[in-house]
Amino acid sequence: MIDKPSIYIIIPAYNENETIQSVVHELKQNGYSNIVVVDDGSSNPIRDSLEGMEIYCLEHKANLGQGAALQTGLTFSLLQGADVFITFDADGQHDATDIKKLIEPVLNGSADIVFGSRFLGKAMDLTKGRSILLKMAKFINYLLTGLDMTDAHNGIRALNRKSVEFLHLRENRMAHASEILMEVKRHHLKWKEVPVTIMYTDYSRQKGQRSTEGIKILFDIFLHKLFK
Amino acid sequence: MSNIQIFLITGVIFVVLFFFNRLKKAILDILVLVILSLLAILFILMPDLTNRIAHIMGVGRGADLVFYLSILIFWFVIIKLYSKIRKLEETITELVRAEAIREGKKI
Repeated sequence: MIDKPSIYIIIPAYNENETIQSVVHELKQNGYSNIVVVDDGSSNPIRDSLEGMEIYCLEHKANLGQGAALQTGLTFSLLQGADVFITFDADGQHDATDIKKLIEPVLNGSADIVFGSRFLGKAMDLTKGRSILLKMAKFINYLLTGLDMTDAHNGIRALNRKSVEFLHLRENRMAHASEILMEVKRHHLKWKEVPVTIMYTDYSRQKGQRSTEGIKILFDIFLHKLFK
Repeated sequence: MSNIQIFLITGVIFVVLFFFNRLKKAILDILVLVILSLLAILFILMPDLTNRIAHIMGVGRGADLVFYLSILIFWFVIIKLYSKIRKLEETITELVRAEAIREGKKI
């Protein structure tokens, strides 16, 4: 158990200028002071929306993808000496109060990486279409990664230093979520799922992954394996 | 010379001239381009040559053989190009990431 662990929240963000302020505000209200926002080449710099909020702001000069932004945030936090790393979405889908649940298994050593699962917990307003799509993704993920998870594409996770040191994400775009699972399997990391709440607002629904994204992710994973 | 021969040879010449400018310094690429173009012109002017080679390979027509081989070559080139693009993306990512971390600060 680490005495007063240094917790870093990593938020990859691309054109989320509207929601990022309230997301950061909510996190600070819950007591998290080490927040790293990675602006993945947004059209309007997110830095402007966050001036004075006492957070770390990193900027990709070119848009690389959520996976790349995540890895940049992880690498940065590693250099800062973080003990626990939380990945968190910028669109307001995640609940800051869930972080406590994610951190616990990491702190007491029972897991190297903890995934939030919306299917273990209660989800608000999950449409039938998305539910089926996610269940299909879960099954395909099991085939590809060997991990039996209830929620394979959730952006909220907790990692310890060991996990982050092993992780070198090469998938820049949405396939990074599956790459993380493959790396967990490859390095035999201890993992757990805890129930979390996902808040689907009209905004996030409209921004969320379309069916075509799922096919694109499959394609990315296939190519990733081919060109390893 | 038949119309198609004139048309194809003109096409080959245009392609060569087009890429000649762009590949100014790339000697190897120009060499490959010129050799392939001469081969192409040879087969265009002597289509019977392709037919003879085709028969040896057990293929009906010369044009079919050229077609099959072209597909193979395109396939190979595409995969090679894709692999190159991936490497480029990795390099760009490294550069963008390094700068982002270097310039990162508390605001």
